[in-house]
Amino acid sequence: MKGRFPIRRLIIYAGLLVFYSFLLLPIIWLLLSSFRNTDSIQSGRLLPGWSEITVGNYIATFQISNFVTYLVNSFVIAFSVMVLTVLLGSLGAYALSRFTLKGKRLFMMAALLPQFFPYVLVLIPFYVLMSNLNLVDSHLGLILTHTSLTLPFALWMLTGYFNAIPKELDQAALIDGCSRLGVLFRILYPVAIPGLVVAGFFAFVVSWGDYLFVSILSQSNQTQTLPIGLQTFMSSLEVQWGLITAGTVLAIVPTVIFFSIVQRQLVSGLTAGAVKT
Amino acid sequence: MHFASPKSVNKSVSIWISLSRKSFGYAILFPALFVILGLNLYPTVSGILASFTNKSLIDPSHSAYVGFDNYLKILKEPVFQIALVHSLELTFFAVFLQVILGLVMATLLIQNVPGIHFFRSVAMITWVLPIIASVVMFRFLTLPNYGLINVLLRDIGLERLGRNWFGDETYAFLLVLIMHLWRNVPFYAVAFLAAMQAIPTDLYEAARIDGAGDWRQFWFITLPNLRYIILVMVVLHVTFTFNNFDFVYLSTGGGPVNATEVLPTYIYKQAWNGYMLGYASAGGVLMLVILVVLVLACNSLTRGLAQE
Repeated sequence: MKGRFPIRRLIIYAGLLVFYSFLLLPIIWLLLSSFRNTDSIQSGRLLPGWSEITVGNYIATFQISNFVTYLVNSFVIAFSVMVLTVLLGSLGAYALSRFTLKGKRLFMMAALLPQFFPYVLVLIPFYVLMSNLNLVDSHLGLILTHTSLTLPFALWMLTGYFNAIPKELDQAALIDGCSRLGVLFRILYPVAIPGLVVAGFFAFVVSWGDYLFVSILSQSNQTQTLPIGLQTFMSSLEVQWGLITAGTVLAIVPTVIFFSIVQRQLVSGLTAGAVKT
Repeated sequence: MHFASPKSVNKSVSIWISLSRKSFGYAILFPALFVILGLNLYPTVSGILASFTNKSLIDPSHSAYVGFDNYLKILKEPVFQIALVHSLELTFFAVFLQVILGLVMATLLIQNVPGIHFFRSVAMITWVLPIIASVVMFRFLTLPNYGLINVLLRDIGLERLGRNWFGDETYAFLLVLIMHLWRNVPFYAVAFLAAMQAIPTDLYEAARIDGAGDWRQFWFITLPNLRYIILVMVVLHVTFTFNNFDFVYLSTGGGPVNATEVLPTYIYKQAWNGYMLGYASAGGVLMLVILVVLVLACNSLTRGLAQE
């Protein structure tokens, strides 16, 4: 379907303009405002004068007590969740893809089920469980919680990826004296990199953005993450939108960078198995 | 000590290998199994059990069985009924509009015009951002005094239309809907695009030779081929939208005057501000039941369409 006529092209670009204005304008406006001083933001003018442009908001954001702690907590938790999800997900997927196990299908279904559970329901026993284990307000508790949210998807997707890799490859490696774990790390991992990256990215994004679970399972600055921090800023710094926008930009930069790396694989990974009918 | 014949050695080794092979399989599956069953299924089952008790946040380890009391109480609660209606409305309108807009956007993205790769590659950006960031953006855009929307309205002389959007009972709900569209429409578009690209082009050529225009091609070739991915996206997003807590809680907290209250925010507040864990669990179980019905309905609806 080529743009045969200029008029057809014009319609396509007009349509794209409508969609992308809607999608990108909020982000651009946020970015622009984060570099404006307070007077400029409150002036009600669309564009700032040159003298009103500043990085002061960013400097001030870092000086707000706790912001750095929130940032570090977010990184520590999201990174751990990512590693744990990929590791446990790929081990489990290797088992499901390459070994004959009893109850495999039942387990696959059971693993998918939690995706439909209302988080607000799960949260209640989660809190009781975590307080019995003394894991409320700990990094470990949040890491385990987030991993339990991301693991089912990773397990399903990676099982699909591994199933698509010919079994002859690992048999050849086993004959050459490769250990069973070696097969996973040396044979399957290199071939399944796109899948591993998407599973890791998904885990990172879910953990990085989670507000609900952190709001209950974290009770002090020691474990609170950026979403909690931004929400606190929004309700307590009421008029200082320069700081709030700068803090928000800092919170989205890591996901945007990560996204730009995995963007190509993302869709095929997320809809794994769904596109082929 | 006796020497086994080579054959029996071989046999015992192979039994040992097959045993260890199996137990190795179970061993490496165990951690994932443990996390999923232990941290997903167990809490859900115990949440269902809690819904029949008077469990309270003040002393969560002690509770008494109260039968269906929580269910009877919550079903009579007016705010619960309001939240239920809002949740169903939000889920229906969000998913319906997402499918339509996703199809339109995918149809734009599949066109081979210069620069289209840029549009395809940035499309999913709204989906990967933390929801709190989206909420900050929309709150900031709609500020009463110097938000972009009101500034633009003032600049084109329509200042009287400006308002505190999130503080307005009608528009707050609309904004929640718009935020859902903003986040998820590109995901639909990109998924539909991938499925469209997988449709063999000779189908379209044959149709064109038969004199079918763009619209008929879309209706008779594209849409039937997208049926399965549409079902997948609908089920995913009925679940996402119906269960979503963050958009409403972070943008309006359910207000103004319950105008945006949905089931997740209502239940959350009953549990963590009202301390009524058993009562809130009953609400959660009702959500689960409704969701199962919705997903099954989507499934049979698509099956029905497929048989036509």
